[in-house]
Amino acid sequence: MNIGSDRMEPLVRVEDIHTYYGKSHVLHGVSLEVGRGEVVGLLGRNGVGKSTTLKAIMGLVRPALGRVLFEGQPVTHLQADKVARLGIAYVPEDRRIFGLLTVTENLRTGLDRRGVTDARKKELLDKAHQYFPVLAERRNQAGGTLSGGEQQMLAIARAMMLEPKIILLDEPTEGLMPRMVSQIHRIIDVLRAEGVAILLVEQNVPLTLEASQRIYLMEKGVVRHHALASELRVTDPVIHQYLGV
Amino acid sequence: MLIEQILIQTVNGIVTGMILALVASGLTLIFGIMDVVNFAHGELFMLGAYVGVITLAATGDFWLAFVISTLTIAALGAALYWVTLRPLLGRDALTTILATFGISLVLQNYALWQFGPVARKIQEPVTGHFSFFYLDYPWYRLVIALASAAIIGGLWLFLKFGTFGIWIRATMQDRVMAQAMGIPVPMVLTAVFAIGSGMAAASGVLFGPLVGVNHAMGLDWVLKGFIVVVVGGMGSLGGSIAASILVSLLEAYASLIVSPAQSVIVSFVVLILTLLFRPTGLFVRTPR
Ligand SMILES: Nc1ncnc2c1ncn2[C@@H]1O[C@H](COP(=O)(O)OP(=O)(O)OP(=O)(O)O)[C@@H](O)[C@H]1O
Ligand SMILES: [Mg+2]
Repeated sequence: MNIGSDRMEPLVRVEDIHTYYGKSHVLHGVSLEVGRGEVVGLLGRNGVGKSTTLKAIMGLVRPALGRVLFEGQPVTHLQADKVARLGIAYVPEDRRIFGLLTVTENLRTGLDRRGVTDARKKELLDKAHQYFPVLAERRNQAGGTLSGGEQQMLAIARAMMLEPKIILLDEPTEGLMPRMVSQIHRIIDVLRAEGVAILLVEQNVPLTLEASQRIYLMEKGVVRHHALASELRVTDPVIHQYLGV
Repeated sequence: MLIEQILIQTVNGIVTGMILALVASGLTLIFGIMDVVNFAHGELFMLGAYVGVITLAATGDFWLAFVISTLTIAALGAALYWVTLRPLLGRDALTTILATFGISLVLQNYALWQFGPVARKIQEPVTGHFSFFYLDYPWYRLVIALASAAIIGGLWLFLKFGTFGIWIRATMQDRVMAQAMGIPVPMVLTAVFAIGSGMAAASGVLFGPLVGVNHAMGLDWVLKGFIVVVVGGMGSLGGSIAASILVSLLEAYASLIVSPAQSVIVSFVVLILTLLFRPTGLFVRTPR
């Protein structure tokens, strides 16, 4: 298992983390890495701990053991707002749009940071509008009135406003129509071309294999398998073993 | 004659309603963002009035006293939040209710010990009257209504525009996601507690000249504040303001028929009817 370990310093490195919800032990020593600008897929059946892994990286759940490193620095005990400011953005599986805020205000939650000039803010907003024209149309509409697909776009655009080095993307295509799914796929490719790393949790295996460079397969709170995406096929026995498709 | 009385009571109701709205805005802001029912709100109102008494005596300037009191109690509120409530965040709501109730008892007894049981007087900054039908109506009551409206309007603008307002509203809706977007949530919560406390103090100083300032003066107001916060819809700022004016107007009209002491019953009737028929609040759009 030395694929990827030739990189000198990964952007994000998760080292043997264990997490608990109350007494239930959910992550049993998860380790993984994401390099700069790399798209990495994290696959596994329902309830294996994919979302919990993302939350642990983000500082939303505290690992009882193990550490999370960002650019070589431990961030395990930082509050989520500090983690976000370092350059890790989070798009949760239920999107969690601020429903009573307008689309623009949702974007401004990520945009209004210290050290961002007005000119830069405008550039970033224009970019969001260019990537997701529907958000420009609905800029003054409350986030809660958008459709599921539009909310997903807004959640991704909102994360982009942080100018992150990595986006933790949790099931972005869940419940979306095929046309929306391909749009999400396109956005992943665009972000990758811009050099933004992505840790992608998905149920959509074909999309994940196409969009990612490397894949981790999780089962019951641990990473069981690790491979280059180009070496895996949807019909591979390991995929069948860990995902049951 | 009756028309005149109704007009006068309308003005009275609106004036009282504006003060109540100021008390309730602070309460509802704190509830909306922290899910904390702040039982110490009335004591912050009362301490605000006392700080007003002291600074007025020292400086002789009512509006300076008003500003100093607001800032002092805002700082006190921030400190109280940081020391007593922040550690309880995320626990059972009952623990925060008990904590704020405890703070309220401590502050009330502190005031009794420090200032004694005799009511103090705040001299109003504007003393004249104008004639309003057959009555002399004090200018100061209009000043109170306008000052309250200005503060509430300022709060609204602050929340609506400006980055900090967006942070506050985002934190109100989803504290965890707000923090994941890089919003410094602990600082936002502290600031909101400070703002709510400062508003309580501001209303205490404004209202001080109409009644004596004593250690128990917060009780009536906070009770009514709770009523309008529930009637208006917990955590809805606009709802609390509308409910404050509605309840105060109804009480003012009721005092034409029954004695003023009995007219208080009206607010409880409105509360009970609201809880029975529209428990999410009168002025909250029911979710589709
Ligand atoms: N807040 C919580 N409290 C208690 N248990 C939780 C909590 N969140 C998740 N769990 C449990 O932890 C386990 C892992 O959950 P997690 O959400 O990380 O899984 P997942 O791999 O993302 O699943 P899915 O594909 O369904 O999203 C599950 O058994 C889940 O029931
Ligand atoms: Mg999940």
